[in-house]
Amino acid sequence: MNATPLVILGVLGVAGVILPVLDVARRERFTQAYAAVALGALFISIGYVGYQFVSGMVQPGAIFSTDVLADDAFGGLFAIAMLIVAVFSVTGSISYMRDQKYPAVYYSLILLSAIGMVLVAYSTDLVMLFVAWELMSIPTYVLAGFMKRNPISNEAALKYFLFGAMSSAIIVYGISMVYGLTGTTNISEVIVALTTLDASMMPLAILAIGLFVAGFGFKMGLVPFHMWLPDTYEGAPQPITALLAAATKKAGFAATIRIVVMGMAALHLDWTLALGIIAVMTMTIGNVAAIMQKNLSRMLAYSSIGHAGYILIGLAVAPHSAAGLQGSLYHVLNHAVMKGAAFIAISGVVVALAVTHLDKIRGLGRRMPITALGLTVSLLALAGVPPLNGFWSKLMLFGAALESGSFVWWGPWLAIAAVLNSALSLAYYGWIMRKMYFEGEDAKRVKEPKSVIAVMIFSLLFMVGLGVYPDPVIQFVEMATPTFLLP
Amino acid sequence: MALIEFVLVSVALLGIGIYGLAVKRNAIRMLFAVEIIINAANLNLVAFSRYVDDSGGQTLALFSIAIAAAEVAVGLALVVVAYRMYKDVDIANFRSLRG
Repeated sequence: MNATPLVILGVLGVAGVILPVLDVARRERFTQAYAAVALGALFISIGYVGYQFVSGMVQPGAIFSTDVLADDAFGGLFAIAMLIVAVFSVTGSISYMRDQKYPAVYYSLILLSAIGMVLVAYSTDLVMLFVAWELMSIPTYVLAGFMKRNPISNEAALKYFLFGAMSSAIIVYGISMVYGLTGTTNISEVIVALTTLDASMMPLAILAIGLFVAGFGFKMGLVPFHMWLPDTYEGAPQPITALLAAATKKAGFAATIRIVVMGMAALHLDWTLALGIIAVMTMTIGNVAAIMQKNLSRMLAYSSIGHAGYILIGLAVAPHSAAGLQGSLYHVLNHAVMKGAAFIAISGVVVALAVTHLDKIRGLGRRMPITALGLTVSLLALAGVPPLNGFWSKLMLFGAALESGSFVWWGPWLAIAAVLNSALSLAYYGWIMRKMYFEGEDAKRVKEPKSVIAVMIFSLLFMVGLGVYPDPVIQFVEMATPTFLLP
Repeated sequence: MALIEFVLVSVALLGIGIYGLAVKRNAIRMLFAVEIIINAANLNLVAFSRYVDDSGGQTLALFSIAIAAAEVAVGLALVVVAYRMYKDVDIANFRSLRG
């Protein structure tokens, strides 16, 4: 009963292994061919997951399974979000990688990392989760430092590697403690065992859950585990930044929902306030720091920290409001497209003009009209401006926080903090738009990379179309949301 | 030997690893510290696996040793590239990204 993850593993794995072999065998001059192979494999995978949903063969958000992988709608939603971002990343790389060395290895690493992300989203066993987590992480360390003659790219990769290796070491220590307490690595059996845990072992169980929060929190960019994130997002090649910000971060949320939210419920802990405090700190520090940035990538990196805070609101109020986890999953899907599109737009600017500094993008609206339009709409969607998709997921999240007010006193305050942060974020998004459209009157139009235009058109259709008519996505999210029942 | 002795050694190794990560700024030393934490977890896993009489923990320990080797290979490659550029492996000197 776990066909979907295995099919994705097969399709992407074969393409990912074949690409470097093709490179050695044929020395292809026409490097777009490698991107075409990668895109083909990704589209087949998305099509297969989508077909499972359309044909109704997928079980709704089950979370638990006695197997190592669960073929449920929860994993399917994350898989679709991550594979869309991988498609963005590969498409955006076609123009970025035109004059770079080793394109086959580059696309192959993106595919291998995508397999890891998808398996993290589907895994219901701690061993599987750890292996998938490393399969996701190790290729991204290489990708972040792929421009190896560039000191900034190398520095970004080294910082990312040190913090990423630390986070996986912490996760494996947490797994070892949970295994010692319960004698099993299957998540549902672990949670059953935790509900009947001896009271004297309670501090150890709390420590283990804390280690998981810290380990996954590094990838999600939660405050206080966020210090590597702006440096890495600024220094890494922008298509890879899109992959990191929009996809690997979501894998952290998938793992957190499967283990931490359910595990803490099993321990009967009042953990919601702790997650609420982390959520408020994360969004406030992210948005306040973003205002002071002068570099476009770095500004969006801080905004990405802020959005991790919004998604965490849903996790914090999950036991008190049915819409909590739903809003989180909806925002995961939307944020993947919005942030992916924004970073691909920046990669287009880097290819065409070789600038990311905020003062150098004056008149971008005249120089690169389609890229600028895509960037503007994705920024408005990130801020949560009404007819766009970001508005609906934020509305659901903030509504869940208000609804939880009848159970916990701090629920409404969470919503107030989030609304104030959204208003704050509109300030620096507006600053970018002002630079693009109201300055640099004499700018001339330059040639825009075709691959970036393709990503912009798709994401514009997604953001505007599903903003005006959000019903299908909301139904999809409702199906994927796990019910808050212990096994 | 009792289980608690293995666990005490493992916790001591975890402490050494966290100390190394928090205090040292040499990239290779930090890599060592990460490896020490992973090995502390492996020791835990094998000891618990023997204690609960279940082979799952030893399986995970084997996976984790193999994956740690892959991780170190990538990490050392990054450190070598950094050394060629900066003639140094002290991450306190990598300061081109800030703000």
